[in-house]
Amino acid sequence: MALWDHPLAGTDRGFEMSASIAVRNFSFEYQGADARALKNVNFEIMKGDFFCIIGANGAGKSTLCNAFVGLVPHYFSGKIRGDILVEGKSMRQSTVAQLSETIGLVFQNPFNQLSYTAGTVAEELAYSLGNRGIAYEEMERRVQDVARMMRIDDILDRNPAELSGGQVQRVAFGSTFIMQPEILVLDECTTQLDPMGGEEIFDIVRRLNERGVTIVMVDHDMERVAEHADKVMVLDRGKVAALGTPQEVFSAADLDVHGVEAPDFLKITRSLYEAGMSGHKPDVTQSGAIDATREALC
Amino acid sequence: MLSVETRNLEYRYGSGHRALKGVNLSLQGNDPVAIIGQNGAGKTTLVKHFNGILRPTSGNVLINGVDVNERSTARWAGTVGYVFQNPDDQLFLETVRKELEFGPLQMGLDERVIADRLERISGLVGLDDKLDVHPFDLTATEKKFCTIGAVLMMEPGIVVFDEPTCGQDMAGNRRLEQIIKTLARQNRLCITISHDMKFVTRNFRRVVVMNQGNVLVDGDVDEVFSQPDVLRRSFVAPPPITKVGRAAGLKETVFTVEGLMDAVKRQKESEV
Repeated sequence: MALWDHPLAGTDRGFEMSASIAVRNFSFEYQGADARALKNVNFEIMKGDFFCIIGANGAGKSTLCNAFVGLVPHYFSGKIRGDILVEGKSMRQSTVAQLSETIGLVFQNPFNQLSYTAGTVAEELAYSLGNRGIAYEEMERRVQDVARMMRIDDILDRNPAELSGGQVQRVAFGSTFIMQPEILVLDECTTQLDPMGGEEIFDIVRRLNERGVTIVMVDHDMERVAEHADKVMVLDRGKVAALGTPQEVFSAADLDVHGVEAPDFLKITRSLYEAGMSGHKPDVTQSGAIDATREALC
Repeated sequence: MLSVETRNLEYRYGSGHRALKGVNLSLQGNDPVAIIGQNGAGKTTLVKHFNGILRPTSGNVLINGVDVNERSTARWAGTVGYVFQNPDDQLFLETVRKELEFGPLQMGLDERVIADRLERISGLVGLDDKLDVHPFDLTATEKKFCTIGAVLMMEPGIVVFDEPTCGQDMAGNRRLEQIIKTLARQNRLCITISHDMKFVTRNFRRVVVMNQGNVLVDGDVDEVFSQPDVLRRSFVAPPPITKVGRAAGLKETVFTVEGLMDAVKRQKESEV
């Protein structure tokens, strides 16, 4: 399948340490709400990073994702302060369509992502390309490519309204991937998939990241976050509670306070270490947990 | 005794797709049961037969010994509660309170009974402070708990949860665990479809694995998760602790950190 490269991949500027997304003193309060969903948030996501956002439900994670692509405040209105720069473009000054040339979002609820104005899955996949005026032959090629990649090439003629949850999720991924964005924002978007289906999609995401695409992922699967993230940010009631490497963030003693559970790999290595059964220091990775358990068995 | 029984259950959708291919299953008592398997395996199609949302193309479904075809779905609603996978398919009223009261009102229950249930159930699902909120203003997971609450308000003997763990955080999963334990204590049969294997192994002793429209394995959680080939065939990945134990050479199948530590000790002792 045709994975796409970041436009700068392989060039001198390809992986320079500059920000894909810069969040500056950003606050947002939904219209009619009595509290701010995001409160003076500041951080940067570097080009090519695999950046994970975790936190309890209601912490502001989806609001942040919607702000990256401009749905906040252009679709969900409210009071806004500060700004978010996406590849240097202000999300406040840009339209959702302009931002979509750079950044793509896969929604938390895939049923909300599809337009349902298309009669077939193929038309649904091509929907955004059509809006951008892409030539028919190119649209056709991309639809076939992305359908093969998402393994939905056998349902291209089906009505999107008649699909299962897992199939809808794959179509939702496809409709974002087909735009070949430089930044992919994934908001808890494998929840409808069976575990191996989730792994398969995640593997595609990981390979895109290796080709320079910046990944921003919201996930409740702490093992996956610990294993793959370059940086992890904990959001708690609209504020940044922690930001660092998975090892730094998950090792913090106050993780529970923020409504986040440590990955099982860390719990295993920590328990074996503290019980004196292994000399392997607490570690957030699966390989670390396997090594520590092997050592304990010796 | 609560029971759900299917005999050679087949279901074919209008498109001709044969989603269930002769399922034989017997669920009884109050032990919670998990149904797992890949997307499209027939899990949702199967459970939608338990209150007559779908009717068998052939074969039978017996609820507490009565053929499901003998009653309308509306009449089964008080016996078998089904919580939809997508909350937006279920919610339709303008406040959480109205959603929760709707079922009991249709059943003609007394106002005081409804008020008592509202207090208990809204607390159990964590929406007691959001009764006057419009359901569409709830977060995705709150919507899920609203639909769970709406079903529990009818106090059905059999409750079916379709993917309740989708998008749940730590607190949400703990609340779900509490609800499942409460139902078991109240002698009700809870059947849950889930893709979250951590959640399944922590909360269910009996696990039914579905694959391509039929039951592949039906058994104790230890037995099911000690069969990697079966799990692979059904596109189910074991939970992280189980994977680590197996990869490290642990002979027992483990699901918790404590279980792993104990199994390590036992294996070392047996090898001495």
